[in-house]
Amino acid sequence: MGRISLVTVKDLMRQKSFYVLLAVALFFVLLLRSCYHGSYNVNGQTMPSASVAFHASLIAFHVVAAGMFLMTTLLAMGIFSRDRNDGSLVMFLSRPMDRWQYVLGRIAGTWMLATLFMFILHLTIALIGLANTGSLIAGYLTASLICSVNLLFAIVLTCTLSLFFPNVVAALFSLIVIGISFVSDGAYQLMQSDMVRQMVSGQADISLWRTLFPKVYMLQDIASSWITGTSFDAMPSAYVWTNVLFYTAVLGIIALLRFRGSEI
Amino acid sequence: MISFENVTKLFGDLVAVDGVSFTVQKGEAFALLGPNGAGKTTLVRMLLGFSRSSAGNIRIHGLPAGKPASRRKLGYLAENHRIPPYLSGWEYLMRHAAFCGLNGARARTAAGDMLQRVGMQGQERKKASHYSKGMVQRIGLAAALLGDPELLVLDEPVSGLDPLGMRDIRILLETFKTRGGTLLLNSHLLSEVERLCDSVAIMNKGRIVVKGGLAKIVQENETLEAVFIRHVEGGTE
Repeated sequence: MGRISLVTVKDLMRQKSFYVLLAVALFFVLLLRSCYHGSYNVNGQTMPSASVAFHASLIAFHVVAAGMFLMTTLLAMGIFSRDRNDGSLVMFLSRPMDRWQYVLGRIAGTWMLATLFMFILHLTIALIGLANTGSLIAGYLTASLICSVNLLFAIVLTCTLSLFFPNVVAALFSLIVIGISFVSDGAYQLMQSDMVRQMVSGQADISLWRTLFPKVYMLQDIASSWITGTSFDAMPSAYVWTNVLFYTAVLGIIALLRFRGSEI
Repeated sequence: MISFENVTKLFGDLVAVDGVSFTVQKGEAFALLGPNGAGKTTLVRMLLGFSRSSAGNIRIHGLPAGKPASRRKLGYLAENHRIPPYLSGWEYLMRHAAFCGLNGARARTAAGDMLQRVGMQGQERKKASHYSKGMVQRIGLAAALLGDPELLVLDEPVSGLDPLGMRDIRILLETFKTRGGTLLLNSHLLSEVERLCDSVAIMNKGRIVVKGGLAKIVQENETLEAVFIRHVEGGTE
């Protein structure tokens, strides 16, 4: 499985589109530098440059983590169909390799590359912050690694769906699921804020489907709490971790079962 | 070495393979013959574990086909073999070598040797997208021979090859057989089968209509082609 993961990383890195995406992403991240030199006023008070750097880095963290969903979905949607079409699948499975090793190896390789991609972007942001403020934001890179669990979820979701539907449909469906998680949990978290609570009388209800829906946004928020140094209290963090890992495992099992019974 | 016992494959209502039984002994060169749609490729795909049989047992070295261990000493060349277009022939062979357990210098030596044997030296650095069909077949055969397999399963190995290429491949397979290798060949080229194989099974409409040693099946003053036509067109056993 380790060997096929490595092969997957190599295969994905052969694609020119990978480097184009990385270059474009780095370009936008580097544009952040100008944010650190501006003068910002809030309520008539000039914000200290360290605070500006911190908030710019935090926003960039979320933008990169969310943007990576699009990137991973694009990477993951064609893995299995491409292998079927170009003969790779026959190549792998004519060797003493089990189907589960192939599926998990492909998924793991894609995850490794996506994690590395996101880590490079977050590291760049952290280094820009370091260059401008002289200090590295604590927890920034740890938060990036926590977000990689979300990427695993996105990859497994897209790969599993691509075994049932055309690639584009699988990618779109995955993005919709992730989008719903962001909107639903973002709205819920907003409802929990003191300001909204004062405006709206009573407790905000949370329906069952919202509780059970994949908590990718919440996991990203847990990651973000490592940067801000605040405690995550929107819901028990153990539940958020369990939720995302549970869905990832269930989807992975569905993919394995689907692939096990399929004709090559 | 290979055994098929009452193997049946259904695709919905279609019976692609119907109660097929035969064995291939170690060191034997066995050919599966039959018209298009007879079920030959389906049998080969079930042997490799790409497709599951609806009934019956298939074993390689006594292990159920489909188990990874059954493919440990097996080389396979698919019909309409494909190489990922972004790989060169060399990269493709090195990848196969890695999955055969060959690494580093051993892999490079084995891949270089195979390239020479299939007549592809000097072409190995080109991307597969620049290969002709014959070149893809040659590289595919080189990949199948990597890792010193005891069993070669070849599905139309000479399709796309010119007469010289066919001759080269035949010599290669004769050498493999001389060294004690077992060969399961699925081919339409009866002349090649006659030269290379010890036993044949002729299939039609999912069933084996005749099987046995070539000397037994092909009578004196008769060709394999005549036997093939007689059994397939006549539909007799």
